[in-house]
Amino acid sequence: MIMPTDRRRFLARLAAYCAAAGVPAITLADDDDRRRRPRPGTQAPTLPVTGLSGRVVVVGGGMSGAAAAKFLRLWGGSGVQVTLVEREAAYTSNILSNLVLNGSVQMPALAFDHGKLASAYGIGLVRGEAVAADPVARTLTVATASGPRTLAFDRLVVAPGIDFDYPEGLATPEAQALVPHAWKAGAQTAALRDRIRAMPAGGTFVMTVPPAPYRCPPGPYERACVVADWLKRNKPGSKVVVLDANPAITAERETFTHAFGVTHAGVIDYVPDAPVVRVDAPAGTIHTGMGAFRGDVLNVIPTNVGPRLLADLGLANAARGFAAVDVLGYESTAMPGFHVIGDASATTQPKAGHIGNQEGKVCADAILRILGGGAPDPAPVTNSSCYSPITASTASWLTAVFAYDPATRTMKAVPGASGEARSASKDHYEDMFVWFRTLMGDTFA
Amino acid sequence: MKKTILITLASLGSALAGAQQAGTPPPPGRLLASNCFQCHGTDGRGDGTFERLAGKSASDVYGELREMKAENKRGEIMTIHALGYTDAQLRAIADYFSKQTR
Repeated sequence: MIMPTDRRRFLARLAAYCAAAGVPAITLADDDDRRRRPRPGTQAPTLPVTGLSGRVVVVGGGMSGAAAAKFLRLWGGSGVQVTLVEREAAYTSNILSNLVLNGSVQMPALAFDHGKLASAYGIGLVRGEAVAADPVARTLTVATASGPRTLAFDRLVVAPGIDFDYPEGLATPEAQALVPHAWKAGAQTAALRDRIRAMPAGGTFVMTVPPAPYRCPPGPYERACVVADWLKRNKPGSKVVVLDANPAITAERETFTHAFGVTHAGVIDYVPDAPVVRVDAPAGTIHTGMGAFRGDVLNVIPTNVGPRLLADLGLANAARGFAAVDVLGYESTAMPGFHVIGDASATTQPKAGHIGNQEGKVCADAILRILGGGAPDPAPVTNSSCYSPITASTASWLTAVFAYDPATRTMKAVPGASGEARSASKDHYEDMFVWFRTLMGDTFA
Repeated sequence: MKKTILITLASLGSALAGAQQAGTPPPPGRLLASNCFQCHGTDGRGDGTFERLAGKSASDVYGELREMKAENKRGEIMTIHALGYTDAQLRAIADYFSKQTR
């Protein structure tokens, strides 16, 4: 975007004034911005004057999209106009959502709106659903409550997360209501909690693990542990059956092998190599390659696929409709100028919120370097970390560092820099909430 | 042949210099250090439950990271995590946090 010199000078002066006065610098980037004013008492960052200018539209306000939007402004300064397109009023965190199932966390604690991104960072918010993009004119069409809107961009960042490929028997909304996935946190999470609460003592909870790659690798095993722990105390004699489409536990193998075999021994029955073939929701039966399993409560996490938006924008060029990207800056290998981050991209990294936040930063940094006439950092590093509750008072963790490998042009796990906690503990459980709070602050505030 | 390589290198050098002039180059270490923000707060300004890194001396932070890396203790999250970075990268990270206001 070319800015008149006077306006640029005014913005520089405004930024300098704001820095001195300790108030946030706001760029009037979009219609929605004009109605926003900084909230009094908000500790806001000072946006730097970088000389960079450009328009970036970010689709999706989850962990990677929100982080990309924030760091584009924090690092790019007020000359970089950022608009965030999001269809929901607030993001519901998938992280910690398994703790809703045992009543340790309530749904409101998982809600993160984008108000601070607007008020403190001057990001324009557009509530609506991205439907189409014109790669030549570089415009995005968004369906909003007040009709279609067209947003112009120099760079488009797409972060729509995942969607599901339902197995036979779960195609209808009625069947899906009987068998919640609870793998996109929200109403489904509360629905699964309520079904588990209503389960008879001595009943059976049957859940499935989708084939890799899927969102949050340790998540299904963590869910099995949290539910088993709750059932032991509240529904004695109940069982948890875990039907894994994969040949073995896909994350924190030592931790979950111990949790299934020792901590929750006699409660969790783990069945590997059991991909779902068909679900009979009314009968409460899941048919797998390892036989049929009947439960009082069923939880099928379907195969994760790329959301339809990726295909609509011409970005779905990897397996299962995910988007292949150049991990130096997450630019699509199909559409120049379009970047795909987070769970929707097909990389060697896990699909998860903590690393999604980092992908947002790498992408933001790359776009800013490109807007400045340069190229992305040639040696990006990312990291994946997460805490997993094993009971209502103990947790485990995993960590991994990924570095760019020029030979394969992929992110590769740095040897030795991956690991998991030696054992689940109360200290880790407390650390889990510190991690959650700072991670969400780094993403949304 | 040698001359061609020299000329190529010279033009590559000026191309890189030109690219840097077009925008303010990002502070070195910033993108690397951003790997720490998720647990230690944006720019290291966390609430202090996990160590606050903003404004700490570069030699202190580098020293701590080196120590963790040398320990290589299984079961400690930071001793594993620190192994993900080269010494030069750890120095750049420490330097970045030392320049952030507390």
